[in-house]
Amino acid sequence: MSLEKARNRYIPMSETMFYILLSLREARHGYAIMQHVKELTGGRVVLGAGTVYSSLGKLEGDELIEAVTEEDRRKIYMITPAGSAILREEAARISELYKNSGGLL
Amino acid sequence: MKEKKTVLFSAFRGGNVVPANFENWFERMAAEGWHIDRVGQWNSLWMTFRRGEPRKYRFICDLQASPRKEYRATYEQFGWECLGRMASMYVWRMEYQGQRPEAFTDKDSVVGRNRRTILAVSVSFTLFLIMIIFYAVQLTCFPDSLTESDRAQIIAVMALFSVFEILLGIVMLYIWRNRQR
Repeated sequence: MSLEKARNRYIPMSETMFYILLSLREARHGYAIMQHVKELTGGRVVLGAGTVYSSLGKLEGDELIEAVTEEDRRKIYMITPAGSAILREEAARISELYKNSGGLL
Repeated sequence: MKEKKTVLFSAFRGGNVVPANFENWFERMAAEGWHIDRVGQWNSLWMTFRRGEPRKYRFICDLQASPRKEYRATYEQFGWECLGRMASMYVWRMEYQGQRPEAFTDKDSVVGRNRRTILAVSVSFTLFLIMIIFYAVQLTCFPDSLTESDRAQIIAVMALFSVFEILLGIVMLYIWRNRQR
């Protein structure tokens, strides 16, 4: 998928997609992603099996992540360069939001 | 006391065509002590529960026509037990206390699950539609090739299929209206 298309589809990004991409800067399988995200958010975001499965399928289909290896029928994924580019763009958008909402809190 | 309970058309009654309702229905049955440990192809038509201890289970109904290889492994690792599938609807179960476990934890994937269910119904809808059109063409374009009794039969079948179409249409609309849950 072209970067332009991926941008249209993923930005702004759902919290689920953001945290999955963020987790996949290191190779992980679905369950490890859930654990990592749970830890990062102090237990606020707990991804379910169905959500992880369908999100990974979508991200893989759009070539933002790829399967690097497999163990016990579980695929281990990692972010692709295109995925990293989209994640960075989203992070820039979020930090702009953060900057502009400074006076509110 | 009865040890078994058979339920007919469980998938089609009491709003159970909406996956979230079907899940809740399974959960209520389990809470009353009615259990099913395997589901198979035809269980949407009839389903037999055995009596046991009341248990607190969360069920998940997930329609997957052609799941990827890691589908089952992913759910199992999250602690779900696969009861099998009826047609292409997988049924998962997890015992819990306290917070009720979820398999779909954001809006996109809940809507996605319901959309897949509607898509499956739309396959039957399309097949019936094709047959109705086929019969309509036969009636209007080749009337001479049909005897009076052929005509009567074709019209009767078309009427029956039209009723199916209306029912399937209602089912799709009902799931769509409930797509957020």
